[in-house]
Amino acid sequence: MMNAVEAKGLVKSFGNVMALDGVSFTIRDREIFGLIGPNGAGKTTTLRLLGTLLKPTSGSAEVFGMDIVREPEKVREIISYLPEEAGAYQNLSGYEYLSFMAGFYSNAERTAGEMLEEAERISGLGQRLEDRVKGYSKGMKQRLLLARALMMRPRLAILDEPTAGLDVVHAYHVRQMIKDYADTRGVTVLISSHNMLEVEYLCHRVALIHMGKIIAEGRPDELKRNFSAENLEQVFMEATRLA
Amino acid sequence: MRSIRPLIVKEVKELVRDPKILIGVILMPLLIFPVMGSAISVSQKSVMRAIISASFAVYNEDEGPAVGALLDYLFTNNTVIPIEAESLQDALIEFQGTNATALLYIRDGYSENASRGFRGRLKIYANLKSMTIAEAGTTDTVSNLIGIYSYQLSMSKIHRLLEEAGDPSDPTAVRSPLSVSSASIIKGNVLEVPPSSIFNLIISQSVMLPIMVMVMLMFAIQMAATSIALEKEQKTLETLMTLPVGRLTILSGKLGGSIVVAVAGAISYMIGFSYYMTSAFSFAPGLTSMTTGDIGLGLQPLGMILIGVNIFVTLVSGLALAISLAVFADNVRSAQSLTGFLVIPVIIPSIILMFADLSMLPSTFQWILLAIPYTHSIIGTKAAFLGDYFVVLRSIAYIAAFTVAVLYIAARIFSTERIITARFASFSLRGLLKKR
Repeated sequence: MMNAVEAKGLVKSFGNVMALDGVSFTIRDREIFGLIGPNGAGKTTTLRLLGTLLKPTSGSAEVFGMDIVREPEKVREIISYLPEEAGAYQNLSGYEYLSFMAGFYSNAERTAGEMLEEAERISGLGQRLEDRVKGYSKGMKQRLLLARALMMRPRLAILDEPTAGLDVVHAYHVRQMIKDYADTRGVTVLISSHNMLEVEYLCHRVALIHMGKIIAEGRPDELKRNFSAENLEQVFMEATRLA
Repeated sequence: MRSIRPLIVKEVKELVRDPKILIGVILMPLLIFPVMGSAISVSQKSVMRAIISASFAVYNEDEGPAVGALLDYLFTNNTVIPIEAESLQDALIEFQGTNATALLYIRDGYSENASRGFRGRLKIYANLKSMTIAEAGTTDTVSNLIGIYSYQLSMSKIHRLLEEAGDPSDPTAVRSPLSVSSASIIKGNVLEVPPSSIFNLIISQSVMLPIMVMVMLMFAIQMAATSIALEKEQKTLETLMTLPVGRLTILSGKLGGSIVVAVAGAISYMIGFSYYMTSAFSFAPGLTSMTTGDIGLGLQPLGMILIGVNIFVTLVSGLALAISLAVFADNVRSAQSLTGFLVIPVIIPSIILMFADLSMLPSTFQWILLAIPYTHSIIGTKAAFLGDYFVVLRSIAYIAAFTVAVLYIAARIFSTERIITARFASFSLRGLLKKR
């Protein structure tokens, strides 16, 4: 079976700053893959590279066999990207925002109407979708954005810190939706997070990233066993010490 | 390009639903201009009423026979306050206690001078309490009254002297032997209209239009810059860039939406401005009785179309420039300060060309001005009024060439990762154009 993502020796520098220093990892099809690490470790840069927003300084990456540098347009057709702490258009209603986004993906197989129905279910916002986004709480906005990212059933959903700054209720809803969607629709998910418990709960496999390098990769239980740790937090601390 | 329509619709909705833009760009001109016009009209009418009804004071030191005629003349049909005082100093103090705004001081010896054939000496003191136009107007009224009296006095004396000498000359011709009248030649046609009247007309109709365009352009630039900065600030641009839609389509959608709103703003501006012109000058109907059509400078349909094209390319270039610059800003505030620099090339040509023709300026200055595309917006509009369509087309071509260059830069920025990574602090034109 073809891998969803194959990143090989990804290097990205911004002037003198080396954001990524030879990152390699593989994500299997229909897998929820977590990228964990502290601030400035290179998580967002990795996600932006796979989202075709940035180009690697060296190295390569493929999304379902398509090169992110040579075929970015094709990659964009099968991915959806949710930036960290993203917003939506403040003066559009939730429906208008979703309908605007659905317009770029609708085709003979799936109409915009079908996507909107799905988005309504994912967001769980009901009638509030009629309201302008500027009146939404942070949690509601994030649910709307998650619905936008998943409604078109991408082959790869790239979610950068999807629960950052959310209260327990909204964070729980977002996590449930990601898990449910990945399980039922067969979507591959690449998620970055600070929250080790969240990653442990959601992800089939994780990669620990530190100072632009992958320092450990594997299933959460496997990593815990290898590092003789009780949880991923301890795994991360031990891995960074050894690195 | 099938995706451009939703992008434009989204952009227009976002902009128009923003109260700052809706009020500032579309509603404000419709509201503020008529209010301004009415305010000017009301104040001008009040000034005129104040001038007509204003009183002035007279302090007379002369006891001779000639002053009687002058006083009779002044006291007839005017509200005059006579000042009785021992000295000029006292008279001035008393004058300041009255509501008169001007004091006519008739010096001792006025009659004696008149009888000996010398000039009678008068002085007007203006009491500037509120520094208003009405005060200056009252002083002018007194001067004009004295001027008329002086003219009549001189004419009667000339008449008498001519009769005594048996000279058949016309007293008017003796007083002013030369008579000058002005005419203007426009496009080879001789018009019996003084050039000053024509310039007043041209200024009111052809210079005001570019100024309107400049103001509208500034609004549009701020609007486009704010829009792109908001997209960056809220990371909606990042999301847009990962959609299956071309980067140029995204740029075109942004531009298209901004143009639609800017044009709506322009229309509202023009409607508001025409109300302003009508109401502001309603106190003096004579000013608007002559039209450019009357003097052969009316806009032909082709001229109108060319002005429209000129304004359109000007707008697109301004918006493209704003978007290209705003990409380097992290947030709305820095985008607005960055695009604030665009005020200079937009405003400077309009101010200079309001007062002077390009050919009057030193040649270095001319070239600098000609390099600024917005100079051509004004030159083109003026030329359209004069029917010089070649100049209009040349202006349009220059602005269009500039616009293409700016759009090229904007497209380059949009097609590289600089749209995501660019920051105000790291701005460098060389780096911007460098192929990645």
